[in-house]
Amino acid sequence: MTTPMVSGSEETDEEFRRRLVTFLTDRHPGPAPKDPQDRLAWVKGWLATMYDEGFAGPSWPRELGGMDLPFNKQVVYQEEIARSKVPTFIGTGLAIAGPTIIKYGTEEQKKQLLPPLLRGDSMWVQGYSEPDAGSDLPSLRTTARREGDEYVVRGQKIWTTMAQGADIVFTLVRTGTQESRQHGISYLLIDAHQPGVTIQPIRDMAGGRQFSQITFEDARAPVSNRIGEENQGWPLVRTSLGHERAAGAMNQAAMYRRVVSELIELAHERGTTDDQCVRDALADFEMRVRIMRYSAMRVINDIITTGEPGASASTTRLFNTLFEQDLHEFAVDMLGTYGVIRPGGPSSIQRGRWTRGFLSTRASTIGAGTAEIQRNTVAEKVLGLPYDPAMPTA
Amino acid sequence: MALAPTSEQHQLREIVRRLLERKSTSEDVRALIDGGSQGDDQLWRQMSSELGLQGIAIPEQLGGTGAGVAELSIVLEEMGRALLVGPYFSSIALAGQALVASSDADAQQRWLPRIADGSMTATLAVAEESDRWDGRDCATIVRRDGAEMTLTGIKMFVPDGCTSDVWLVITQHGPEPALFAVERSATGAVMELVESLDLTRPMARLTVDHTPATAIDLGGDPAARVQRIFDLAVIAVAAEQLGGAAKCLEMAVEYARTREQFGRPIGSFQAIKHKCADLLMEIEAARSALLFAAASADSDSEETSIAASTAKVWCSRAFTRAAKENIQIHGGIGYTWEHDAHLYLRRAKTSEMLFGSPTFHRRRVAQLAGIERRP
Repeated sequence: MTTPMVSGSEETDEEFRRRLVTFLTDRHPGPAPKDPQDRLAWVKGWLATMYDEGFAGPSWPRELGGMDLPFNKQVVYQEEIARSKVPTFIGTGLAIAGPTIIKYGTEEQKKQLLPPLLRGDSMWVQGYSEPDAGSDLPSLRTTARREGDEYVVRGQKIWTTMAQGADIVFTLVRTGTQESRQHGISYLLIDAHQPGVTIQPIRDMAGGRQFSQITFEDARAPVSNRIGEENQGWPLVRTSLGHERAAGAMNQAAMYRRVVSELIELAHERGTTDDQCVRDALADFEMRVRIMRYSAMRVINDIITTGEPGASASTTRLFNTLFEQDLHEFAVDMLGTYGVIRPGGPSSIQRGRWTRGFLSTRASTIGAGTAEIQRNTVAEKVLGLPYDPAMPTA
Repeated sequence: MALAPTSEQHQLREIVRRLLERKSTSEDVRALIDGGSQGDDQLWRQMSSELGLQGIAIPEQLGGTGAGVAELSIVLEEMGRALLVGPYFSSIALAGQALVASSDADAQQRWLPRIADGSMTATLAVAEESDRWDGRDCATIVRRDGAEMTLTGIKMFVPDGCTSDVWLVITQHGPEPALFAVERSATGAVMELVESLDLTRPMARLTVDHTPATAIDLGGDPAARVQRIFDLAVIAVAAEQLGGAAKCLEMAVEYARTREQFGRPIGSFQAIKHKCADLLMEIEAARSALLFAAASADSDSEETSIAASTAKVWCSRAFTRAAKENIQIHGGIGYTWEHDAHLYLRRAKTSEMLFGSPTFHRRRVAQLAGIERRP
């Protein structure tokens, strides 16, 4: 059971940090097992420990097993979690569907669905994109037909991350007409363990299998699994909670700080820093990774002082994704022909991490909204440029 | 380190912006350029008597208001937006801050109160014909003539050099860098206007020939003081650049919202939207870099130099790119003399070079970050 906690209002940030560090040290789950099955069990076991000891869900309400931390303590939380290298989630439900249900779910849905999600007992994955509905998500075609107190779902979803081992797929489905576009979409949770659900991994261009295609052939979901009203699922898509992503932004900056330092080290080892062009390029990455940290600090400061993330938050993702693509491509260039040795081979440098990154970061400007869609959003929502009259309006 | 503006800083920005929107309009700027004037004296007095802007980052006991680099940066950013013609950058941001960073109480007492109330102006002369801005390798010769010190040499690209009352000159004295003050009336000092691409900021070539100068004490580690003076100048240029960049994007967005072609606003086309979104990304990155550099300078952090160089590189990029795209988005009208777009491009390209080009600062970062290992 959840251990009683010191009241958040009395505990200082540093006291909280010490209590958290003690927990992370005493109960650390050790290194991740190599075998995928063992690894899943290892993550689940750790998530349960965090939940049971009151260290899960930094921004989630207390009554759902979360910690409901003020923002500055969330930053402390993210810092220490990153430092201790423990896992904090399985699937994508915690980050995406969880906040949506907290905001739009009924009391019963919250009580029934969220504690097992937070505790890692139930693994949720996302089913939004379809083969014919990528950037134009409102054109999605997976239908959910009402049959008594159930929906019967037919269609295909794609680009689901970490679908292997999923218990629930949280989906956007068409409950209205095709023409109604985003006004005919509902938010529905579908049990993955049923005959009408097939999960098929996709081999990606980097050779990995982190994405899957999910086919629904008369899969069934109770109406009580619908979040929000029928045909009103679209506005639920972009729900975030307590600026959780901003609290973690420093960690991404810290992670890339290490990567840039490692690349500089590698450049020294291979003698490429004798070349002025290489030094100039590395200096650019040095500056970009610093700016990543400065921007994360700015967003955190803005949230603490005004409650809102401010203007820089809107372009941070674009900045970071372009950075990671450029960084890996430069590393490959710097390594010369060694950079194009297939990863893992005996002559590959550092087991091919830069080459692999060169391939895998192609996804950075595609997944979770392409860079082009992000630019449209920034231009329209932040700069106030007019909508494209040829595009359906929201 | 706090990077979110305080409510006082918001207020400061608003006050300066409102003043300059009234007193440094496009027409005002053009009138000053056409008249060959180096500033609006009435506005200068108003800035001083009503708002005390000249004294913003000067300690209270020396007649200032005792704010910091962060506040000075806000004022400079607003001046960069408005393309203000006047000696604020040279006298307040360059010379004033150089004196504040010195350890010479006499020199501070002598000049800072008058710089702070705007009754005199000064500037900083660093670069020479070798075009180096960080105070190294200066060839201006220092001689001791009895009790008097004299300088002989040539200083290049001195902002507002023809109109300043005092020049602060950085040069080498023995093994260490040193700072001297030369009065306008000193014998052997000759100023000539250098025709700059930037029509809004006059620069001068200053020749000194056995010219009497006052040594300014830089304490036990003059190299560190000169580095601080350089960093503060770099941050000041970057702040102005950021303001110019943001203004260019605003001009471009405003035009793209209203200009119609093919029966719709050109801002509804993705080609234009994506340009503008990319500019905002560059500008916000530059703003993060500038905020951090100013905060570092205020806390005298060890990161100040690398943060200042990062800010200079990114603000240079953002401003020049924004100035170019502003012209592109405006199309033909943006290429006319009457449109202000070219004034910003001229300022952008010129500011890139002042106090070290992006190439120079990129290499400085490479050294400071251990990418280039110094022998």
